[in-house]
Amino acid sequence: MKTILLPIDKIYLKDERFRISYYFPQDELLFSLKKIGLINPPIVTLRSDRFILVSGWKRVLACLKLSISSIPVFVLEEEDDLKAFKTTFYDNLAAREFSLLEKSEILKRLKKFGEKDKEIVKQYLPLLGIPATLVHFDTYLIFSQFRPELKNIIHKKKMPYSSLEMLAEFNPHERELVLPLILPLGQNKQKEILEDLQFVSKKSDIPIEKILGSEEIQDILVSERLSHVQKADKVRRLLKRKRYPLFFALKESFDSSLKKMQLPKEIKVSPSPFFEDEEFSVTFSFKNKEEFRKRLLKLQELNTEEDFFELFNDILE
Amino acid sequence: MTKSKYFPRKIYIEKASLGFPMTKRILKNASHVPVEIVEDVENLIDNIKISRDFIGEGKKCLLITQNRGKFVKPCPCTPHYIGCNYFIINLELQCPIDCTYCILQHYLENPMITVYVNTEDLWKQLDDFLYKNKNRTLRIGTGELGDSMALDHITKHSKDLISFFRKRKNAIFELKTKTVNIENILEIEPAKNIVVAWSLNSYKVAQNEEKGAPPVRERIEAARLLSNRGFRVGFHFDPIIRYQGWVDGYDEVVDELLEKVKPSAIAWISLGSLRFPPGLKTIIKKRFPNTKIIYEEFILGKDGKLRYFKPLRLQLYKEIIDAIRRKRGEKIPIYFCMESREIWRKTLRKTPKGKEEVEKYISLLRV
Repeated sequence: MKTILLPIDKIYLKDERFRISYYFPQDELLFSLKKIGLINPPIVTLRSDRFILVSGWKRVLACLKLSISSIPVFVLEEEDDLKAFKTTFYDNLAAREFSLLEKSEILKRLKKFGEKDKEIVKQYLPLLGIPATLVHFDTYLIFSQFRPELKNIIHKKKMPYSSLEMLAEFNPHERELVLPLILPLGQNKQKEILEDLQFVSKKSDIPIEKILGSEEIQDILVSERLSHVQKADKVRRLLKRKRYPLFFALKESFDSSLKKMQLPKEIKVSPSPFFEDEEFSVTFSFKNKEEFRKRLLKLQELNTEEDFFELFNDILE
Repeated sequence: MTKSKYFPRKIYIEKASLGFPMTKRILKNASHVPVEIVEDVENLIDNIKISRDFIGEGKKCLLITQNRGKFVKPCPCTPHYIGCNYFIINLELQCPIDCTYCILQHYLENPMITVYVNTEDLWKQLDDFLYKNKNRTLRIGTGELGDSMALDHITKHSKDLISFFRKRKNAIFELKTKTVNIENILEIEPAKNIVVAWSLNSYKVAQNEEKGAPPVRERIEAARLLSNRGFRVGFHFDPIIRYQGWVDGYDEVVDELLEKVKPSAIAWISLGSLRFPPGLKTIIKKRFPNTKIIYEEFILGKDGKLRYFKPLRLQLYKEIIDAIRRKRGEKIPIYFCMESREIWRKTLRKTPKGKEEVEKYISLLRV
């Protein structure tokens, strides 16, 4: 590859056929360019008498931002798009880790440039740290079809593979609908809401659109006194109750009976997770000797109250 | 309905396994199936695993190889719940039947139906194992990582295994199947310590979720034939699955079972409700997109597996136990697979301290 000094406006940036990175921070690169200039030339190639970028989108965009007029570039003399793309792929592979979305773009382009599916699975998926199956390949291709707004959120929120995999199971319209709901939430709650929504839809044969359009959910979504986070969280809890109706009924009954016991807030009685174990635990907190004795006295009192033990008798019957 | 016997589309033989008598037997009994000799089994497995449905693809191939580790292992069971001290013989892996809920989809790395042909090693290992445990009665079987009988017309394993175990009185040997592939067993004499067992489910579950398995009625008929020949039979209602109308669904099967098979011939009935590691759910969703079985009130159990919320499990078990007891089955030993002490106590009114006690309960009562 020869190196030339190329006016930056001679690079035809509208041709994004080799581009795999869309979302990246520029601050550090801008700082570095200001300090020492462009050390590592991007790679360009000629298509229809125009230079297009093969590798180095971050660098070129940063140079544009700094109004740098000419930059050194490597000129790749390769007419075959697949071969040219492999150059950028291997160039990047050695230098950095790809994000989930970048991986999806790489796979999409390999397919578009004519690499056979099975070859992609065998050769490239292991290089990208993805299990070598067509199922995973298909899933990543769906990621690449997500709309740019969604991709931006995925990038900003650093959504994990498991959440993207869930999103891939929704159709494009459903993805648009759930977007405002998952947007304000953290990773775990995002995954929960997607899972629960899909669960309720499949179990009851009700389309996701209809669930989200239901009165109870719309009441939450249009509420003016709730913030975006509160709305999302309220919908999440509502879906959770729909998914575990019996568990929540039992938990409420237990909590309500416990409340009637009027225990001081420093004494806590808890069942095992999901009441799966027969054991219950009692914990209490105290600040000093006097409080410690007070709690013990209360516990001793409880020992004589049959109502208290009724709580645990055949709670599941 | 598949009374038809399974034959793979292709047999792969690991080069080093060519000379074994069992290899020759398989090739003779499946002589119409194309054969390929392979040197690199790992590479073969990797190639199959590329497929979109590699689990389904694996079922189309039979791999002949050797078990270079232990044939006999304790049943892995599950932590924090009561086991039954069962031992498994890994002679075959994977199964041609394609059940929605099958744990093998998640559990085994190799999707191909695999037969280990170094049976001389098996007999030696079994003899050592039984000798070391000569003072107890062991329950041991082949149906954990595959169906005991699905390949029996090709391997004739049942004849070899029954001949071996009939002389080893400190073992109760169980063949566990969903098939009706019993011709080989019908040709041999029964023995007290041999149990042929069937996995049963409601007709609806079997029809919708056990692709490639014979209907439950045919399984019961096969059990009837063998019990009439003097064989002891067992039944596993596992996994019990909730759906609209499940009470009647299971009641109907119990009814037919105890109509057709004499309760005195039944060595045991085990019960287990649907449970699965979370990873299996992803596989089920992809492979069986129309199934509803994973959309029930499952909670994360103490063993990290998803299982029905406890009141739902209690209800399932109580109904089925009640049906068995009502219909001439008062004396049949019933036990649970991977359940808690609380479930035992609240349904069977027994509180086994551990797996040893369960083993004793199942094995000593009826031998």
